[in-house]
Parts: sequence; C-alpha cells; structure tokens
Amino acid sequence: MLDTAMLSPSANVTGSGTYRRSVLRDRIWRATLWFCGVIGFLLPVSIIGYLILEGVQCVSWGFLFDYPRGTPLGTRGGIWPAVEGSLALASIGLLVAFPLALGGGLYLTEYGRSHRFNRIVRFLVECLAAVPSIIYGLFGYAFLVVFLKFGISLIAGGLVLALIMFPILLIATQESLRSVDDAYREMGLSLGVTRFYLVRRVLLRKAWRGIVAGIVLAVGHAVGSAAPVLFTASIYFSKGGLGLDRPVMTLPTHLYHLVSEAISFDQAFGTALVLIAGLLIFNVSAMLLRRLGGGLAQ
Amino acid sequence: MTRNFFAKLPYWSDEAVKALAFLALGIGVSFLLLMIVFVLRESSLGPGFSMSLFDFLVMKPWAPMATPPSHGILHAWISTLVITGLSLSLAIPLGFGIGLFLSEVAPRWIQQAMQPALEILAGIPAVVYGFFGYVTLVRNFETWFDMPAGECLLIAGLILAVMVLPFVASTAAEAFRSVSQDLREMAYGLGVTQLYVTRRVLLRKALPGLFGAVALGLARALGETLAVLMLAGNSVAVPHSLLDRGQPITALLATELGETVVHSAKYQALFASGLILMIVVLGINVMIWTLKHRFLERSDA
Repeated sequence: MLDTAMLSPSANVTGSGTYRRSVLRDRIWRATLWFCGVIGFLLPVSIIGYLILEGVQCVSWGFLFDYPRGTPLGTRGGIWPAVEGSLALASIGLLVAFPLALGGGLYLTEYGRSHRFNRIVRFLVECLAAVPSIIYGLFGYAFLVVFLKFGISLIAGGLVLALIMFPILLIATQESLRSVDDAYREMGLSLGVTRFYLVRRVLLRKAWRGIVAGIVLAVGHAVGSAAPVLFTASIYFSKGGLGLDRPVMTLPTHLYHLVSEAISFDQAFGTALVLIAGLLIFNVSAMLLRRLGGGLAQ
Repeated sequence: MTRNFFAKLPYWSDEAVKALAFLALGIGVSFLLLMIVFVLRESSLGPGFSMSLFDFLVMKPWAPMATPPSHGILHAWISTLVITGLSLSLAIPLGFGIGLFLSEVAPRWIQQAMQPALEILAGIPAVVYGFFGYVTLVRNFETWFDMPAGECLLIAGLILAVMVLPFVASTAAEAFRSVSQDLREMAYGLGVTQLYVTRRVLLRKALPGLFGAVALGLARALGETLAVLMLAGNSVAVPHSLLDRGQPITALLATELGETVVHSAKYQALFASGLILMIVVLGINVMIWTLKHRFLERSDA
C-alpha cells in the first residue's frame, strides 16, 4: 500500500512546489471537514431554535389543557385530547411490549444455549426494527382493525406501537445484559443459585440503567411516529376521554391535519413545540441515564 | 419480604421462568412472520389480483376512479427513487464529512457536544420535519420559482436529506473510529498529509462500515412517510423534473389506505406496493447484517 510516490511531499525539500501544493490541499480539506462539522451542529440547533421561537407564543396552560375549538376545528382551543391520546397509546404499547422484550432479552442472553438460534433470532429482530413504520400501519390496519374487528381504536393503535417498540426494547435489554461482566454470572452460578435468582438479584440490578434508557428511546420513537397510528387509532377530533375501543387524537396526527388542511399554522407551531419539547425531555433523560450507568459501571 | 416470597419458589421455578422467557421471545418474533404473511395475503393471494407485475409497475397509471379503474404505481416508485436518490446524494457526502470531522479533526469537547446534537436531529419526529419543511421551504419556493403550489420532489429530498443525515453521520464516524490507531500513526509518521491518510488509509479500511452507513440511510429514506407525504405534493402524475409534484410509495399508502374498500382491487394494489417496499428494505437489512458480520469477524482476527 505504501508506494514511493506518497512519500514525495515530505521527502522533498520544504518549500518545493509539490510540498506546498499538498499542504494547501490539506488546509482546504481540513476547512471542508470543519465546515461539515459546523453544518452538523447548526442544523439541529437552528431547527429546534426556529420551532421554539415560533411556537413559544402559542403554548400556554390553556393550550395544553383545552380541546380543539373554532371553525374549522383546531383554529382555536388546545390540544389536550391529543396529548392524552399519545400518552395512552405509548403506555399501552409499553405495557405490552416491555414484558415480551424483557423475557426475550433474558432468554437470548441467559437461557438460550444455541449460538445459532440466538443469532437467527437477533437477525429477525433487527429486520423487525428496520421495517418502515408505515408497513406496521398497513399490518395493523389489515390484521387488528379489519381481521380481528377491533376497529380504529386505542387498543389497535397501542398494539401496533407495541410491535414497533418490541425490537428496540429487546435490543436494548440484550445489549445491557450482555455488558454485565461474566464474572458475576460465574460467581453466582458457582455458589449454586438458580439462573432466575442470578437474573433477579445480580444481572437486572447491574443492567437496569441500559434497559430504562431503551424504554425511554422506544417510547420517544412511538410517541413521535404518526404513520402507524394514522389508520389504526387516530381520529380527527375528540373532546378527550379515553376508551380502549374508541379512537383517540394523537399529537403527530393532529399536527399533520393542521398543516395538510391548512387549518392554523399558529396552532401547528404550538403542537410541534409541545411534541418536540416532550421528546427532548425524553431523549435528554435517556442520555443522562446512559452516562450515569456508564459512570457507575466503571 | 419479597425476598422470602422468592425464597419459597419451588425447585422447578427456574425452568418455568426459562419457558416464560422463551414464550415471550416467541410471541414477539412470530409477529415479524405474521406481518410478512399478512401483507402477502392481503396483496396477491386474495381473489382477483389480476394484473401482471409489469402492468402494475410500469404500464398502468394510478387511476382508481376511472372506468375501468387502473392501479399502476409507476409514479410512486419513480417519486420514491428520485427523492431517495436526491436525499442520499446530499446526505452521504455531508454525513461522511461529519463522520470524518468527528473521528479525525474535532477536539474532544466538540465531539461531546456534537453527539447529542446529532441524536436530537435523529429524534425529531418525521411529522415535525414535514411541518418545518412546509413553513420554511414550501412557502418560499412559491415565490422564488413562481409555482402555484410549492410542494415538490426537490423539497421532499432536501428535508429527507436532513432526516437521514444523523444516521449516516454517526455510522460513518463509528466506521472511521474503528480503523486501528496504529495505521494512522504509521501513516502520519511517514509525513503525509491528513487528506492523504483519509484517501489512502481511512476510506479503504472503513469501507464496509461506510457501506453500512449508506445502506442504513437508504433504508431510512425509503421508508420515510410523513415528511414526504407533506412535502412531495401527492400528485399521481409521473414526475418529470425535480420541481414537479410526486407521490412516493409511502405517501401513496398513507393517502389512499384510509378511504379504500377492504379487499378491493385498489386495496390489493396498495398492499402489493407495501410488500415491494418491505422486501426492498428487508433486502437492504440483510446486506447491512452481512457487512457488519464480515467486518466484525475480520477486525476480530
């Protein structure tokens, strides 16, 4: 790989033409990389900043806790039914997906004996995580809404979100259990306790931070996605109040309707700000948890 | 007290927990298979999916209201390709640049500030990106280019580029970082420039990881729904330029599914397009998986 040509810039006497040219090119290259870095930093800052600046005047307690009013609906009033619906959907999703993912992750790291089996399952789970969320929406519509006759309802949407969360949670559980030092397992098992005892008293206590961070990520992802709930759970307008067999409003679909039907951009800015502020709080807590977990493990 | 409760568990409880854990895993994973089976069942195995694949993909226009109705998705996959291609051609160079910046150039404190910034960019929901693109770009395009309605493939591609950028950038940074430090030091010790090291050492050693970054970006871009739904314009005409309106496959699904008679020909056509999308994305995922494992095995050796 090291041909003699590449040595020429340094092998030549300083001040020769080739040397100066390669130094100049390198300067330009470094400047380009810095430029990329600055863009990578400015993009999120400016998008978030813009949404905060435009949205902050629309957000108030009244906006948060009122239902949409005005004609057409949504030009005045608030977004409480959407906040409520999004939270309910995410909670149902988490309630269903978390036990499955925890059990699955435990099986893969602690109980599964066959390396081949574990690898195949992990592959399937990564495929599940890669499937676009609109396909989950299609599946939820065909299977839950139509085939099982759930109708467009909170429970159908919650189950679709559970499906979306499952792979994220499973991967987080598996990774954080895997990162627990094997010495703990060997020590525990050599003392003659059962695997379940070991899991309960040692491994989960070591790994819970990573698992919680995974939960926060999965919930954040589920709350923000509109495509899977568009046909399975969401409705254009509701006065609030939840029922498993009734549809709900959600924050992302509310924002979508406000914009696509050009109802009210002020309200849309407010809704977007509430949505990203909630998600930012989620993400920041995930980051802090991961830091904290990493610091304590060392 | 819980301790006492668990202490009295019978001897077979460990086996029971194992069985429960296996059951949980089985339920979760079997849904992937169920999902594939269901999308397959709803698309073509139902009665009367009469079109040939060629008609479906190329020949027929999307005109469900015409007599006789016709359901071709030429306009949809062309829009998807154009938007995805545009967004990746922007996001890949910039993402690799950010990746290189993070792993080679940036001081430590900047790296630590950028990582959360990219995570925030990745965490913004698609619908918010769509809204952001609408209020910033669509309105201005109407005046700049004198268009009656500002939505077009170009805007959708631009916003999609911002959306896939954090995934490309952080995967690329990971790939560059994993190049062994020895190689770098050796190269710099020979007195060559950073540009030379990047070109001749980093890009070559990180190649599998970079392919992974591209594939991940591609999978993300193909499956993105809400932003392209709001920005591409939702027109069923086949687009001819970047400033034309279009309707990617995901937007087609999101627009039409809600108002489609279950098990009609249109319903089947929608599920068939969903199936195509799913197969493509799963194929990309298989590629990522293979690359990752080949890469891991080689770096272990």
